[in-house]
Amino acid sequence: MMLAGALLLLALVLPGLPLGSWRAFLLDAAQFAFLVSGLALAWDLLARTGQLSLAHGAFFGLGAYATALSIPALGTIPALLVGGGIAALSSLLLGLATLRLQGMYFAIATLAFSEVMRTLVLKAQFTGGSIGLPVQPAFAGAYPLGGYYLAVAVLIICTLVSLLMSRSRLNYAMAATRQGEAVARVLGVSVVRVKLVAFMISACLAGLAGGVYAMKTLFLSPYDAFGLGRAVEALVIPIFGGLYTTTGPLLGGLIIVSLETWLRLRIGEGYLVVYGVILVLTILFLPKGLMGLLARRRGARHA
Amino acid sequence: MELLLQTLINGILAAGIYALVASGLALAVGVVGIVNFAHGEFSMIGAFVSYLLFVSAGIDPMISLGLAAIVLFLVGAITYYGLIRPVLAAPELNQMLLTFGISVALQNIALLLFGADTRVVSTAYQGATIALGGVSFGVPPFAAFVLSVGLLGGLYWFLGRTRLGFAVRAVAQNRLAPGLLGIETQQIYLLAFGLSAALAGVAGVMLSVMLYASPTVGFAYTLKAFAIIVMAGLGNLRGVVPAAIVLALAEAVVSTYVPGGGGWVEAVFFLVIFIALTWRSWRLA
Amino acid sequence: MLKVSGLTKRFGGVVAANEVNLEVRGGEILAVIGPNGAGKSTLLNLLSGLTRPDAGRIEFLGLEITHSVPEVRTWRGLGRAFQIVQPFHEMTVRENLMVGALYGKPGTSLATAQKVVQQVLELTGLSAKADTEAGELTLLEDKRLELARALSTQPKLLLLDEVMAGLRPAEAMEAVELVKRIRASGVTVLFIEHLMPVVRALADRVVVMDYGQVIAEGPYDAVAANARVREAYLGRSA
Repeated sequence: MMLAGALLLLALVLPGLPLGSWRAFLLDAAQFAFLVSGLALAWDLLARTGQLSLAHGAFFGLGAYATALSIPALGTIPALLVGGGIAALSSLLLGLATLRLQGMYFAIATLAFSEVMRTLVLKAQFTGGSIGLPVQPAFAGAYPLGGYYLAVAVLIICTLVSLLMSRSRLNYAMAATRQGEAVARVLGVSVVRVKLVAFMISACLAGLAGGVYAMKTLFLSPYDAFGLGRAVEALVIPIFGGLYTTTGPLLGGLIIVSLETWLRLRIGEGYLVVYGVILVLTILFLPKGLMGLLARRRGARHA
Repeated sequence: MELLLQTLINGILAAGIYALVASGLALAVGVVGIVNFAHGEFSMIGAFVSYLLFVSAGIDPMISLGLAAIVLFLVGAITYYGLIRPVLAAPELNQMLLTFGISVALQNIALLLFGADTRVVSTAYQGATIALGGVSFGVPPFAAFVLSVGLLGGLYWFLGRTRLGFAVRAVAQNRLAPGLLGIETQQIYLLAFGLSAALAGVAGVMLSVMLYASPTVGFAYTLKAFAIIVMAGLGNLRGVVPAAIVLALAEAVVSTYVPGGGGWVEAVFFLVIFIALTWRSWRLA
Repeated sequence: MLKVSGLTKRFGGVVAANEVNLEVRGGEILAVIGPNGAGKSTLLNLLSGLTRPDAGRIEFLGLEITHSVPEVRTWRGLGRAFQIVQPFHEMTVRENLMVGALYGKPGTSLATAQKVVQQVLELTGLSAKADTEAGELTLLEDKRLELARALSTQPKLLLLDEVMAGLRPAEAMEAVELVKRIRASGVTVLFIEHLMPVVRALADRVVVMDYGQVIAEGPYDAVAANARVREAYLGRSA
């Protein structure tokens, strides 16, 4: 909690700090880290119902494209809302078709969904197809830090939603659904509805993050926006940081995206190797992630 | 008419290699109970083994087949022993995530080692074609098809007619509670996972000639194999061949008859996965 | 209170429930007994909606629920405890009960749910364990939790599936007292049981099933003396 607050505070004041010649690079990297961490927080919300999505890269991409396409007509903020809305709508449709599936079946179906989305965007005319799509900057470039603060805003929204959902009555239903679906139903939980609600909130936030990402990169291509890499980031960060928590994805995002940024500078393509290795090591040795490790430390000290 | 015939032949020829990859995956799912996202990466390694042997020593892919099978059997066995075995008792999702992590890691290690370029093993017979009546097809796809049929026949014979094969099926049919695995069961798992990887590796050698070797060449085949085994019913080895034929024919028809079909082919297997799973989801409800 | 007529379920060639007719009267404790494989658990799954019937009709409090999903039956007042205890391991006892208290009756507020949970904790003797993780309970406590969780949905009719299985005789008798207290609080009970002393101590009425059919019905002593019932039990035990 404290840690989460401190991280967000740092995000707010970062542009005012004396960063010297690294300023532009650091702000850019930080903006990317905030968006990916926001995506990770969003992914975790669905994971709380026990569903493992490989479609969050696609929701991110859908949000990015929908925002990019509607900025000229609507302006920055409404366009972002459209991005979140489109992502939520597509998750509703996908969820109605697949949320009865469990475990690996759901994961495979969501993977199929993201690949179909990429093919559609590649083949469609209005998206610029394989050539790509130029995007207007946030607020038509009127504020140099506009994009940065939009990213901070997305991160704060994702953090707040994550915290609020942990404290809401829905949290009981989500945790029950995750830990025993049949029992949860007999206790009165409409598990399909719970999963659908979590899926839509989760996808909407992913779409918002994608929209800000579009304004940051100023150019979208299907391979970037719908790449599997984004889906990998979305799931490895919470697993590494600590599932079903708010601080976990924030902390995991900070660490992993820093590592990623450094690796991108050093080795360029292939940086995703860090995600693969971290995922394997976490599953084998750190099943509760960093938060589990911290809790164990704290528990040991109290005992 | 000739176009249709050509389309059908293309589809059937492609089905062989699909069935080979999918049988390997079905073996891992059916016997060990692991949905292996890294299955296609075993094919990718096979493709690079073939490419490297060809470039460095001029070894023909036909010979690499055997070497790749051995190498991949070992890779599979090591993967099983070091990574899969520790999570056999873990929740299904953890197992899946683990193999997903292996897949991402292997793809990107290959990317670091070899770059993103596609590399083709250009043998003398690579461009050769056989013309029969009004239709024609390449020698490599035809050879791959014949080989696949032979290997699948061998696999079915092994599972159906040998003592060891019988033991494998017995283990598959009554999976014991995790944690209670006897040593024999462990050995069967090791064997099945190694075989699964070897089948993928052999398919990878064929890909290096027919398509290319590249870090991401395998992932598409993981997904196609998923489509096939989901259609066949997860872990059902017998349904794999017909399901592979359905998928390959559907792709061939789309690529021939849909305008700009090249790109849409990529969507076919996802639609198949999607329809099969969704149908399943509503039937379960 | 609950009326079952012609309820039938087949699994492949096996008829697990064959035209079952059954009535549960408000306020009673009804036992369903029968040899292994007689179709008792299938009956409970049909009643709580986890299995769909092939034919027949289920009526609860005057409304048909034959095809209702499980959660709707729970909202109407049908509670269920499972034979194999399945607590939510990552939650405390209190949180386990909160799920039922919040969702068992739609629109329950957090404050109301907390009150319900407190009452159930006291009734089932779990107050001292309220903040223990469910994964750390003993078998006896697990069984209590299973019962308590079903109660947290505030059922009018409670279905119990062999909740005494695995308990020592003294523990089972303790559980018998608990079920009596539950009934005294106004809940009707239908339970499946193997242990005859428990059935004798608890049941107002006994229904005997064999091969998916109801073969006898009545007070314990009358049923125990029934020739068909004796045959069903003795004939199979050989």
